[in-house]
Amino acid sequence: MRMLRVGRWITAIALLLLVGVYVRALVFTPVERMQGLAQKIYYLHVPAAIWTETAMVLVGIASVFYLFLKDPRLDRFAAASAEVGVVFAAVVLTTGPIWGKPIWGTWWSWDARLTSMLFLFLLYVGYLLLRSAVADPATRARYAAVLGICGMGLVPFIHFSVYLFRTLHPMPIILKPSAPSMPGSMVATALFSVGVFTLLYVGFVVQRYALSYLREQLEAAGEVGHA
Amino acid sequence: MPENGNYMIAAYILGGVILVGYALSLYLRTRRSLRP
Repeated sequence: MRMLRVGRWITAIALLLLVGVYVRALVFTPVERMQGLAQKIYYLHVPAAIWTETAMVLVGIASVFYLFLKDPRLDRFAAASAEVGVVFAAVVLTTGPIWGKPIWGTWWSWDARLTSMLFLFLLYVGYLLLRSAVADPATRARYAAVLGICGMGLVPFIHFSVYLFRTLHPMPIILKPSAPSMPGSMVATALFSVGVFTLLYVGFVVQRYALSYLREQLEAAGEVGHA
Repeated sequence: MPENGNYMIAAYILGGVILVGYALSLYLRTRRSLRP
């Protein structure tokens, strides 16, 4: 299957480039004076967060269109994007506390940004569980689309929560109307990492989409349970 | 400058394990689906 091969190649290249991000962050990017080496967690945490939010918005958009068009390709894409979004959210929710411990002095704080991100993660875990619990493909896609649209509504709240509430979480450093609040070499590493996560997202989604398609074929032939 | 490089190493390892683990899971699941 051509799509699967393409997805695997993109993923393999993206994982190699991720090693490049690590090397660039460790060797060619200056150490921040106040935070020390822990600041370099930023180059993994922030791109993963950007693509978690983007993945969930894309789930919501595909879900809206699915409810109007009933095209199974949109449902397949939404399922793929949701699963990849959950994986990226897991990266965000593990690297964040590891940065928080040396910088804040605590692993976790129940503030608006952290709590809403955890809620988004759990909501999409629920989305995936819902998909595996409903047997009828049309019903499954419709229920999942409604939940996917609800999840999309949470994303702007997460992004703007640092402005709306008093939180421990820092304000955006790159994704803001004014110029980035860090030196050019740090911005370059962060943007390189965002590019690599973009490639990872595409590679993962293409593979996951192909997997759903394969399972649907087997399901139609009555060989396996639903995806 | 604070000495906290071990936190950075832990985050990089954990992040890498999650991403490579997911890539591996996709590979294994698709291979299982392709098996005749």
